[in-house]
Amino acid sequence: MHPRELVDRLRGALGLSRHRDDELAEELRFHREMLEARHRERGLAPEEAARAARLELGGVEQATEAWRDQRSLPALDMLAQDVRYGLRTLGRSRGFTAAALATLAIGIGANAAIFTIVDAVLLRPLPFAAADRLVSLGDAGSDGTPSLMGWTTLDEWRARNRSFESIAIMGSWLPTLVSEGEAERIPAVRVSAGFFDVLGVRPALGRGFTAADDRPGAPRVLLLGDGLWRRRFGADPAVVGRAITMNDREYHIVGVLPATYEPLVEGRYYQAAEMWAPLGYDATLSQACRSCQHLRAFGRLRPGHGVAAAGAELDAIRAQQRRDHAEDYAAASVAVTPLRDAIAGPVRPALYVLFAAVGVVLLIACANVGNLLLARSLSRRRELALRAALGAGRRRIVRQLVTESLLLALGGATLGVVVASLLVRGLARLAPVSLPRIDRAAVDLRVLLFAVALAVITSVLFGLVPSLRAARMGLRTAGLGPRAAGLQSTLASDSRTNVGGYGRGRAALVVVDLALALVLLAGAGVMLRTVRSLLRVDPGFDPRGVETLQFLLVGTRYAEDSAVLAFQDELLERVGALPGVSAAALAGQVPLGGNGDSWGFHVRGRMRANPAEDPSVERYAVTPGYFGMLGIEVLRGRTFTAADGAKSEPVVVVSAATAAQVWGGADPLGSVVRVGDPNEGPWRRVVGIVGDVHHQDLSGPPTPAFYTPQSQNTDSFLVLAVKSRTSPEALARPLAAAVRALDRGVPVYALAPMSDLVAGAVAQRVFVTRLLGGFAGIAVLLAALGLYGVVSYGVAQRTREVGVRVALGARPRDVLRLVVGGGVPMVLLGLASGLAAAAATTRFLGGLVFGVSSTDPFSFAAAAALLVMVALLAHWLPVRRALAVAPVVALRLD
Amino acid sequence: MPAGKADVLQGTLDLMVLKTLDTLGSQHGYGIAQRLQQVSEDLLQLNQGTLYPALLRLEQRGWISSKWGTSENNRRARYYTLTRAGRKQLEREAADWQRMAAVMARLLGSAGETS
Repeated sequence: MHPRELVDRLRGALGLSRHRDDELAEELRFHREMLEARHRERGLAPEEAARAARLELGGVEQATEAWRDQRSLPALDMLAQDVRYGLRTLGRSRGFTAAALATLAIGIGANAAIFTIVDAVLLRPLPFAAADRLVSLGDAGSDGTPSLMGWTTLDEWRARNRSFESIAIMGSWLPTLVSEGEAERIPAVRVSAGFFDVLGVRPALGRGFTAADDRPGAPRVLLLGDGLWRRRFGADPAVVGRAITMNDREYHIVGVLPATYEPLVEGRYYQAAEMWAPLGYDATLSQACRSCQHLRAFGRLRPGHGVAAAGAELDAIRAQQRRDHAEDYAAASVAVTPLRDAIAGPVRPALYVLFAAVGVVLLIACANVGNLLLARSLSRRRELALRAALGAGRRRIVRQLVTESLLLALGGATLGVVVASLLVRGLARLAPVSLPRIDRAAVDLRVLLFAVALAVITSVLFGLVPSLRAARMGLRTAGLGPRAAGLQSTLASDSRTNVGGYGRGRAALVVVDLALALVLLAGAGVMLRTVRSLLRVDPGFDPRGVETLQFLLVGTRYAEDSAVLAFQDELLERVGALPGVSAAALAGQVPLGGNGDSWGFHVRGRMRANPAEDPSVERYAVTPGYFGMLGIEVLRGRTFTAADGAKSEPVVVVSAATAAQVWGGADPLGSVVRVGDPNEGPWRRVVGIVGDVHHQDLSGPPTPAFYTPQSQNTDSFLVLAVKSRTSPEALARPLAAAVRALDRGVPVYALAPMSDLVAGAVAQRVFVTRLLGGFAGIAVLLAALGLYGVVSYGVAQRTREVGVRVALGARPRDVLRLVVGGGVPMVLLGLASGLAAAAATTRFLGGLVFGVSSTDPFSFAAAAALLVMVALLAHWLPVRRALAVAPVVALRLD
Repeated sequence: MPAGKADVLQGTLDLMVLKTLDTLGSQHGYGIAQRLQQVSEDLLQLNQGTLYPALLRLEQRGWISSKWGTSENNRRARYYTLTRAGRKQLEREAADWQRMAAVMARLLGSAGETS
């Protein structure tokens, strides 16, 4: 069809150009009058002329009709007719329509909400140019992901590889902005010059970093993030070129990043940065050693170069490095991971579980609406038979019914999108902080399309089978199908007509409902038990009543360790004197605080031939009161005392896991160790063994750790932990004030009770558990409604029978037994298939499960028991209603 | 339609209308009908239920355009005009028609010889 013709036909079909009808009428009138005039000229009387003209022209109606046909789309016309009719029918049965719409709105809404989150977190490309070529890289860690790397190693990878356009290197930076008002610690990173080129990001103001900036001793420059620029610099465009003081050094601002820049890479490994400075790495410093690993690397693959090939090439380069410097490299392979996986990887399994669960909710919703439709098609049998008798074909009737289903589904989707936008907001608040980009999740066009697609699929799922059945029944009863029963009989039939076919179909859907609900309940149960087991794990310390805050002592004032030590002694003294404080300590980091710092651990007499292969152990620098305050158990020997000072013998305390891993059965006490560089630094004597502490998470075994006195191995990045006799939150302000009283230039941040850190360690699983529980709740509710509908329909059919039985002396219990007896096979089948399905699917919870089997019998049994109770209730309510009808009334029914 | 008068095939009518507009220039529906009746010596009498849908179809395909104008007796009337695309279509269809007519003529002629 010519496009213009199509457009014109569409306009006509949609009634967009009604005036054309009037124009045609005028045209036809003109034509007739011209003819009449000609006939009159030829001598006919006026009436005769009019008659002749009408004869010659043919009927105006037919002409108009033919003309309109040329201006319309027959298929569209029929659709419009179906839609109008469908809307009318749905409007007539308000109860049915409301129930179906609500069910679909919940099903589609919950799905659209989870899709919104999955889309924002997992599916959308990262907001960088050609983001599919961005990868994270480094030696494969124990979990297979790239780990921290050393400068020299990475520098050689950069120089020798052919797979990457460029490789960027990133290191932590903890600067304090001193000028421009109150001292503030700014989240920041140091980056190699090509960092923003790799990401494909250009500054909105000024310039990016050049190779000349990225050299030791180069003039100090930095880039600001848009947020920081607005917050601290009033969005001043003249900020470029300005000098500011960071950690008492002067830096020049060279540019500002665009507002659209998302610090995802920085956030994944360090923190959502607001400031960037060149790495300017000095390769002559001792920390540039090949075995000193403290940098992150990522790169942009050349077009056409795959992840696997790049990994193989880096493997080869690393193998050569190991041959050249055997003592610096342990055997390891290189991991090259797409950046998106590196960023979203940790949360992917949880989101997939939720996506699957919410899909199950939608299936249940479909089963329920299908159930409603089956029930309704029974009452519509007469109408359909009438339509069939009046000449509607099977296809036409099915199309009509499918159109109704589609209308319902689209209505449900519309409401569902509203539900979704509410849900997304709530979920974003519930979500653990580890969900990257959740803040960007919003209902948008993609979500709308997803909801519409769901609507179409669901309408087929719940609508097609009932439609086919209903159409067949309609035709059959109208005498047009096989086994004709005759229109008359149906039109005259009453509600006692046999309903076996519908009953079986509806019972099958209830079985599906129950089975799916059981799967979700069992999954939620397993997760609930997981969270319980995690919270029961002994973290190795007692978080109760402990408040923490972090601060940083940097700058020339704290260049000497003695200044840091003087500060901390003074601080502990002041804090200890605060009312309500029972103990106070300082540490480089606290358990579950999200930081780990592993050092090579070399025991004299137990070092490997290649010291690079000695174990890595986490190091914690602490003050003497630390162990007692956190209730960390002392197993053997002693912990630190005030006598362990900068001048006394260097000492360490090791954890039980370290003792077991490094010494095996031997006694660690008295051994001496060197930490970090195997060739330099003091030998430290092991003076004590303490209990294991879960420093990284609760679900894994405790990682090996050693402790050094803060006085002998001084950290300037410090956590102040204080045990309170009252509520730890009340201490937050006085503690921050105590730090600032000593030095206004010290930034204080991350105030949190220790129990929050423990809660954070289970946050992701709690999130999954809550959502899964919510979905299971919806599923049970829908299943209960479905079951209730079927049972109460069955009971209503038998009201007369119940009346007879009661009149003959049956007790309520007997009636209940009679009805429940009918439902038992249905419920049992539902539970049995549900248990089988749950056993087959809960293992997909995989790594989320902890401390309990993924087919935990207790959870499964509890889920089944809950459903049995729901089923009993669904049976009892209709029976009670039937019993309430007096026997005499029941006998008079119909 | 009175007996003895020809039923018109759709494609044929299109060609006739295009040719008429080519000959007469701008013309209203009545004028087109009159012209066809004249040329066919009253063999062809167009029902308005055939003519106006055909005019609409030709316009939808972009072969003719229409606008309101004033008729020779000062009445408002819709005038149809051949477009450039319509002229091309006319040439194409006329050529096809002549080729087909020639084939038919040869076929019918030769059939006459053998029988």
